[in-house]
Amino acid sequence: MSDNVTLTIDGVQVTVPKGTLIVEAAKQIENEIPVFCYHGKMDPVGMCRMCLVEVGQPAIDRGTGKPELDEDGNPVVRFFPKPMTACTTTVSEGMVVKVDTSEAAVDDRKAVLEFLLTSHPLDCPVCDKGGECPLQDLTIRHGPGNSRFDYEDKQHFPKRYPLGDLIVLDMERCIICARCVRFQQEIAFDPVLAIENRGRRAHIVSYSKPGFDSHYSGNTTDVCPVGALTTRDFRFGARAWEMTNVPSLCNHCGVGCNTVLGTRAGTIRRIMPRQNEAVNELWICDKGRFGHHFNGSPDRLTTPLIRKGEELVEATWDEALSLIGEKFGAIKSANGADSLGGIAGARLTNEDLYVFQKLFREIIGTNNIDHRVGLSAALEDETAFTVGVGVGTDLGSVGKGTTILNIGADLDQDAPILYLRVAGASVKRGAHVINAGGRRTKLDAQVQTTLRYNYGSAARLALGLLASVVSQGLVAKEWADSRTSGMADLEKALKNFGADKVAEATGLTTNAIDAAAKAFAEAENGIIIFGLEAGNDPALRAALEALALATGHAGKPNNGVIAVLPHANSRGAIDMGILPDRLPGYKPVESNAGLSAVEMLTAGGVKGLLIAAADPAVESESYKQALQQLDFLVVQELFLTETAQMADVVLPAKGNAERDGSYTNLERRVQTFDMGVPAPGKAWADWLIFTGIAGQLGADWAYASADGVMAEITQRVPLYAGMDFKNLTAPISLQRKTEHYIYEGMSFTTDIREGIQWATVAESDSAPKIPLRFIEPAKASSQEQGLTLVAPRMLYDGGRLLAEADVVNAHILEPQLMLSRSDAQKLGVSTGDSVTVSQNGTAITVPVYIERTVSEGVALLPRNLAGRPAEKLVGPNGLYSTVKVEKS
Amino acid sequence: MANPLLKEHVLLRHRDIEDIHKIDVYLAHDGYRALEKGLKEMTPDDVTNVVKASGLRGRGGAGFPTGVKWGFIPKNLNPKYVVVNADESEPGTFKDREIMESNPHQFIEGVILCAYAVGAETCYIYGRGEFWTLFHGRMQEAIDEAYEKGFLGKNIFDTDFSCDMYLHLGAGAYICGEETALLNSLEGLMGQPRSRPPFPAVAGLYAKPTVVNNVETLANVTPIVLHGADWYRQFGTEKSPGTKICSLSGRVNRPGNYEVPLGTPIRYLIEELGGGIIDGKAVKAILPAGASSSNMGADKIDTPMDYESMAAAGGMLGSASFIILDETINAVWAAEKNVKFFKHESCGKCSPCREGTFWLTSVYRKLREGYGTKQDVELIETIINQMEGNCFCLLGEFVVPGVRTSLELFRNEYESLASEENEVDQPQKDLIHTFF
Ligand SMILES: Cc1cc2nc3c(=O)[nH]c(=O)nc-3n(C[C@H](O)[C@H](O)[C@H](O)COP(=O)(O)O)c2cc1C
Ligand code: SF4
Ligand code: SF4
Ligand code: SF4
Ligand code: FES
Repeated sequence: MSDNVTLTIDGVQVTVPKGTLIVEAAKQIENEIPVFCYHGKMDPVGMCRMCLVEVGQPAIDRGTGKPELDEDGNPVVRFFPKPMTACTTTVSEGMVVKVDTSEAAVDDRKAVLEFLLTSHPLDCPVCDKGGECPLQDLTIRHGPGNSRFDYEDKQHFPKRYPLGDLIVLDMERCIICARCVRFQQEIAFDPVLAIENRGRRAHIVSYSKPGFDSHYSGNTTDVCPVGALTTRDFRFGARAWEMTNVPSLCNHCGVGCNTVLGTRAGTIRRIMPRQNEAVNELWICDKGRFGHHFNGSPDRLTTPLIRKGEELVEATWDEALSLIGEKFGAIKSANGADSLGGIAGARLTNEDLYVFQKLFREIIGTNNIDHRVGLSAALEDETAFTVGVGVGTDLGSVGKGTTILNIGADLDQDAPILYLRVAGASVKRGAHVINAGGRRTKLDAQVQTTLRYNYGSAARLALGLLASVVSQGLVAKEWADSRTSGMADLEKALKNFGADKVAEATGLTTNAIDAAAKAFAEAENGIIIFGLEAGNDPALRAALEALALATGHAGKPNNGVIAVLPHANSRGAIDMGILPDRLPGYKPVESNAGLSAVEMLTAGGVKGLLIAAADPAVESESYKQALQQLDFLVVQELFLTETAQMADVVLPAKGNAERDGSYTNLERRVQTFDMGVPAPGKAWADWLIFTGIAGQLGADWAYASADGVMAEITQRVPLYAGMDFKNLTAPISLQRKTEHYIYEGMSFTTDIREGIQWATVAESDSAPKIPLRFIEPAKASSQEQGLTLVAPRMLYDGGRLLAEADVVNAHILEPQLMLSRSDAQKLGVSTGDSVTVSQNGTAITVPVYIERTVSEGVALLPRNLAGRPAEKLVGPNGLYSTVKVEKS
Repeated sequence: MANPLLKEHVLLRHRDIEDIHKIDVYLAHDGYRALEKGLKEMTPDDVTNVVKASGLRGRGGAGFPTGVKWGFIPKNLNPKYVVVNADESEPGTFKDREIMESNPHQFIEGVILCAYAVGAETCYIYGRGEFWTLFHGRMQEAIDEAYEKGFLGKNIFDTDFSCDMYLHLGAGAYICGEETALLNSLEGLMGQPRSRPPFPAVAGLYAKPTVVNNVETLANVTPIVLHGADWYRQFGTEKSPGTKICSLSGRVNRPGNYEVPLGTPIRYLIEELGGGIIDGKAVKAILPAGASSSNMGADKIDTPMDYESMAAAGGMLGSASFIILDETINAVWAAEKNVKFFKHESCGKCSPCREGTFWLTSVYRKLREGYGTKQDVELIETIINQMEGNCFCLLGEFVVPGVRTSLELFRNEYESLASEENEVDQPQKDLIHTFF
């Protein structure tokens, strides 16, 4: 039997795969059956009855088992007596569907609309959905012209009911399609919404405390087919048709979600997801949606500032740039090029970073550059170059047959949309996800296997898994022999990492290690994800790289390693060589490697420093002291940060909504964004500022645009060959678009772009064999007494950009030490009591919060919070350390 | 209480034998002999086959052949469940309650036989919330007794067959009598119906194969297994064999449950068993299946009470809850009561039922209060036309026949309530419902 069926919809034949729903089949031939409850990303429920159609099937003669034929020899079609919902009915061979060609079905749909409107307030003139509202649109197309319902009897509900502090419900507008409830259940895996009561009294409620407790709540406002759910910051913000929709990218984490900026009169009114099936599907997290308010903040820097004594005073660009040229030139001629250095944050674009390193390497003549401050210093990654996930990897489609091993990433906090995709792969599509971490995280509830290892033993766990793969005979011999070298040496080194030893170091059982190794090795596809809490350990990365290579999980789609790097362009910063020892495209610096950020931020490291998009002064007191001793400090920023306040020259930079550029996401996908709103005052794009500085130092670069910079990158960085803006913004193929894109719930569309991934070494058959690396992990720290203090990253942290978004302020944690109940009992403290946490003479005082997800022996104090208390203990680049906790 | 049509009751045996709810009395009167026979002498398929041969049809309303339903249960998917529908929420239906209150062991025995036949080891009895006293009293006691005597639990009659039985109370929703909503509720989910397919026989409780049967249906299984299909077929008609408990209520002198062979005329139920209409008034309409029925006019009073004849007469047998209206009852008032019931019970999942019932109540109220117009009478018809065939489950569809036949038979009563004018000013109402 063939896997396709052919049916006729309104007289048009269409052939689709078996199991396709009628709505989807109709879409293929551009017959748009109206829907409300149906959503292409959720299981069909058939609730709203909007999609009623007439359905017939060929009649089968009972005697012969053959189709019955009429006098003319055509098959007799028998129609079901009742209309069917096109969203729940799957197609079958010879089926005849009447959408618009059946008067009865047309009337039925009109009837359903009239029913829906009986309870509707019809306050379109003041409704945020107006103009892009499926209920409005479908009423005009399919509905009755007027209402026969007695207005007096309309059901009333509260018009402004906060489900949580971000989402407001207007229950009168709700048509009870349950899309919001189902989104939270099926896609976000935060089932915090429900329908309460029945009949006309049914209404949406949130049962969580605090209300609507989910990082994904904003998406419900997109999937809601009416104006029932609105975001607090956009409510009554603008009419849909008055806004210009600009394709953009989220700049808050490494996932690289595609967004669309709704702009009006030069300001961003809202951010919505832009569908990219390869990255974020139809979703963005709430940080991405609500965290844009820094753009229009009155505190933005608008003009260059020059230090005059204690004061920073306004200056022109000419004055500022020539002062920098003069001072940098003087320092260089007096002390040599290596007395200058630069730190650039991974929030900058590829174009910015490329020009930044070119300025330092080619014009100034030093390799003293780095992006590793703050979070960027807490997790590095070079594995992407060799075994990053294969081009074409799609976490949104992997399922059965795929094993995903996550080590030390709390995805719901670190990379929210990646969390949705990994959890979805596990729950909806049957992938085997192994979640390894030092503490319980949200992903645990959605996966088949969890491994809880002792903090600091992640590298040993990885080596143990690798050793287990070898000892169980699960090495992918053929691939490993032909594509890698050094297996014999590796096997020898692994002798010390037998299951027993690793079990002891990690606190896991040998069975658990062997089972996980087997599940990973034997899977058809294997993906490794690792993150901050696995530790910034070269031994771990070498082991994971070898694990992927030895099991053959490299060099092809849906296989390989993903590092959950912290920033929007962390990957790009590494690609562009913002490292003292690596040039763009992962080429090592042959000789004269430069100073790292930490070295530059040590007193006496350099004399002149350019810092862009980084704020080391808040990270640590010692950085601050080092900055004070500089001869000359230039800071390029959006805000007058602590570091900027110490600068000799402050340069105002554009935010990403105010310019164009490209980011490379954690799956190595290079994507572009457009300019949406004008910059405040005289701010410049970072690449332009670097170009200006280079000009003062004698360069004659003539970049006209970010696009122009990228054109040079494509020439000079082979990994980025072909990635000019024209290609990066090219529309996707029509076939892919029809098959994968839905844009449900949004009546506007903006460009669909999927970006381009660069290929890893493992993907090239002609590349030389890849050496299997082994690095001896550091000795486990001596068994100090105390709790392990872990400083994870929270989605809502005290970063400067988020601080500007009043709407999410309530979600930003106050510093607090999260303890297990048993440890709290041992210390004799309960929630709210304050404790002193000390390590090596440094002590801080914080309140305690008893948190059930924390395991015994572990204390959590998120990093990046006000005053940076965690960093004081674990160091600005650290993740955990052993501390003493006492009741204070 | 003698019943001239039956020498002995088949289901309401407590009316013949005192204290049959006590296990010792029940055992003294063939109690659990059917189970012993089934387990020791018959294969599971034999049990299914005898039920098939008996022609027993579901007593919950739909009248689906019970043995055929059991035959749909796939053999190789485990575990399987038996779920008994004891939600009994149709207005005017109170037969399952009497069985469980007074003759519980016959019912329990039937449930165990059903579990044996389909290969289930776990049975849930889902009762309406109002059965609290019954489920915490008599029913639980009967189950405990059955466990004590070894009719439930491990290795019943020393066979390989083990079976557990649990009682579960709903929270008082009519929709939870619909079998898929019942399963949702039993799983702890919201009581709303599920899409079919998959059918419960394939993916029911916890997505496992599940038989859902009504209490009365299963109470029939015990005598069928004990006495055989031929014995059972001595009652009733060819296509509707057996006896049926009719719940009689409304304007009759002796309301109550009456067990009759299927095919007995309605007139016999009303006049002989029910003692006729109060004050000797005339029958105006018969609602044979509670609120979900059409109104049968008085001229249909000689219709035999079996599935086919009732359907042919424009009614349905359903759960056989006969509500009798007499000439003192206003048809609009009666229809409005039913509409209000459905508005209250609509689960709210689909728009035609949720909004349609709400809208109907609004129009009915207007009419009854004297603010309705001729157009409103037509509007009622339009609304039910718009609901018909478009609802997610049968609850919404159940609204239609009652209203439609009420309009057909008694349109004059509607029109006499409607004003001649096209527009009637009605006073401002404080009909503002606010929730949260
Ligand atoms: C709205 C609605 C309410 C129902 N209520 C009941 C009920 O209270 N009791 C019952 O046994 N069946 C009820 N049913 C029928 C059940 O869905 C199901 O058909 C029955 O339990 C099957 O058992 P049977 O085959 O033994 O009749 C109801 C059906 C619908 C659509
Ligand atoms: S709030 Fe919106 S999405 Fe949720 S049920 Fe109502 S209409 Fe549907
Ligand atoms: S997941 Fe990351 S990239 Fe996506 S919206 Fe959230 S913060 Fe932005
Ligand atoms: S018809 Fe619709 S609203 Fe009514 S009970 Fe069934 S599913 Fe619920
Ligand atoms: S879209 Fe099909 S029932 Fe709602």
